[in-house]
Amino acid sequence: MSALPWSPMAVELWLAAVIAILIWYDLTAAADDKPKIAILAIAGLLPVFPLAFAHPERSGAFCSGMYLLDPLARGFKAFFALTAILVIAMTREFARHITRGIGELYLLILTATFGMMMLASAGDFLMLFIALEIITLSFYVMTTYLRTDEKSVEAGMKYLILGALSTGFLLYGISFLYGYTGSTNFAALREAIARSPTLPPWPLLGFLLIVAGIGFKVAAVPFHWWAPDVYEGAPTPVTAFLSVGSKAAGFVVLLRLLHGVFEPASGVWMGLLVWIAGVTILYGNLVAMAQMNMKRLLAYSSIGHAGYLLIGIAAASGLGAAAVTYYLGGYLFTNLAAFLVVIAVFNATGSDDLTAYAGLSKRAPVLAAAMFVALLSLAGVPPLAGFVGKFLLLMAAVHRGLLWLAAIGAAAVVISLYYYLLIVKRMFVDPPADPTPIPVSRPVRWGLYGCMAGILAMGIWQQPFLALAVASVRSLFS
Amino acid sequence: MLTPITFYAVTTLMIASALGVILARQPIYAVLSLVVTLGAMAALFVLLGAFFVAAIQVLVYAGAIMVLFLFVVMLLDLSPEVAHRARRQTLRGVGGALGLLFLVKLWHALRSLPGATTDLAAAAPLDGTTRAIGLRLFTTHGLPFELASVLVLVGVIGAIVLAKRTLD
Repeated sequence: MSALPWSPMAVELWLAAVIAILIWYDLTAAADDKPKIAILAIAGLLPVFPLAFAHPERSGAFCSGMYLLDPLARGFKAFFALTAILVIAMTREFARHITRGIGELYLLILTATFGMMMLASAGDFLMLFIALEIITLSFYVMTTYLRTDEKSVEAGMKYLILGALSTGFLLYGISFLYGYTGSTNFAALREAIARSPTLPPWPLLGFLLIVAGIGFKVAAVPFHWWAPDVYEGAPTPVTAFLSVGSKAAGFVVLLRLLHGVFEPASGVWMGLLVWIAGVTILYGNLVAMAQMNMKRLLAYSSIGHAGYLLIGIAAASGLGAAAVTYYLGGYLFTNLAAFLVVIAVFNATGSDDLTAYAGLSKRAPVLAAAMFVALLSLAGVPPLAGFVGKFLLLMAAVHRGLLWLAAIGAAAVVISLYYYLLIVKRMFVDPPADPTPIPVSRPVRWGLYGCMAGILAMGIWQQPFLALAVASVRSLFS
Repeated sequence: MLTPITFYAVTTLMIASALGVILARQPIYAVLSLVVTLGAMAALFVLLGAFFVAAIQVLVYAGAIMVLFLFVVMLLDLSPEVAHRARRQTLRGVGGALGLLFLVKLWHALRSLPGATTDLAAAAPLDGTTRAIGLRLFTTHGLPFELASVLVLVGVIGAIVLAKRTLD
């Protein structure tokens, strides 16, 4: 009997220590000092970057295959840490609307991040399930955080019930796979599936249930019903975290499962994924056109983006997987910039409606410019990050001969340009209802500059980021 | 000699309380009868030498899940069932058919089990199931076990944040 090897888990252990310290601080500090937890949390997240990439030779499977440390896990640990830092910065801006328990909100952001990092390293369905539950449980509470706001409570209730249902699907699917193979370990499952790559009925049923469970997490059609209401009702920083962190976590799982465990059976699921991707892209972008609330619009557009990301999964190739990671990287900067502007506008006008954005260029040029860049990147206009990501995804589809899926993806870019540019028109052409300038605080300004730099860098100077994306998914295909 | 007596006593209790579950008019009595049924089932597990399963049965089913049942019954303030009388006849038919199907399948399963022994005394002693489970829990499944503690922590923080009136 050997002790658990702790050293590969340096990132998670560090984060667990940070969480423990913050709980203690939250319990003992005076009420006025609690907002300082944000600073402590950001300081606690910074060491994750060196820790995640330390000791590249110390890679592989640990703890009887439960914990995987490979470039994919390392890359996404850094991704989640960056997301969490930006979300915490956003939460500080939004804090004036949260009347109770601001310290616990930061704590829950950290526990969700912890779950995401564990999820990126899961090498066993048991780990995957517990990590996923840590994430969703944190999100249930964060979604309901504005307890006196009807919309927030409704969003939390919907998310809880539908989330529990999808968790049930996932567990049921896992149990079928376990019944068929006698194992929950990814490596063992892959071997068992390689022996019968056409998937007999029972493991096929398990596979379909698992895809349904994960499809809910990434909000892919037909498992997307929760997204618009939850995105609209949740506190805006939580919406941003859901749309970037939770979605990326779902795609790490999809990469690991479909490009890893179920890779030998790709003939069975490719067609299914192609359909889901196509329908999701069209649905998200078409319905987004009719929205009058900014958060709802971003919710539908995020459904559309999930569809684009699914192209890379459906392509079942190294290029597809690299494109998914690249796209997620660009999506992080783009979407968080957009939500940062949403928070700043909400703080000034008290509204998330599109009408609140009229004449934004005259009231706060920085916000309008940042929103402009973010929207164009979301649509996929060169030379921004979104363009390169979409280009790689469509290229992966064409390489696989999925020509009509690529055509749908290209057509949806035009649709999305329509409703993104309508917002741009509101910001730059329409006269403002109230011409007083909107003050932009220094953290917002610097956060926006950082996101802009990320969007432009990933759009113009692709080579190093592409190399990173390729390196991070290479271990899946070895 | 003692084992058969206990066995028959426990099974009689189990059948009686199971009848109580379906015959009681008040939902609360049905739930309480279910507690007795599950407790008796735990005693059956003890007779089989599966002490760990018995303990889990009491903790999870007779404990946690039944408390949840009670909460729901009290929360909904269910009245004695009178409203459903009209649909009763068909429901009875469907329930009877399903029960019969279950018994037939159970009979087949018992008949087809390879090497099923009827001598319980010979089948019982599997050495130390608790020990075997504990060993796996702290070696191969050590990491998920530790991770579950974080999950519980999140649950505790979340419950306090959502339920407590004032936090500071």
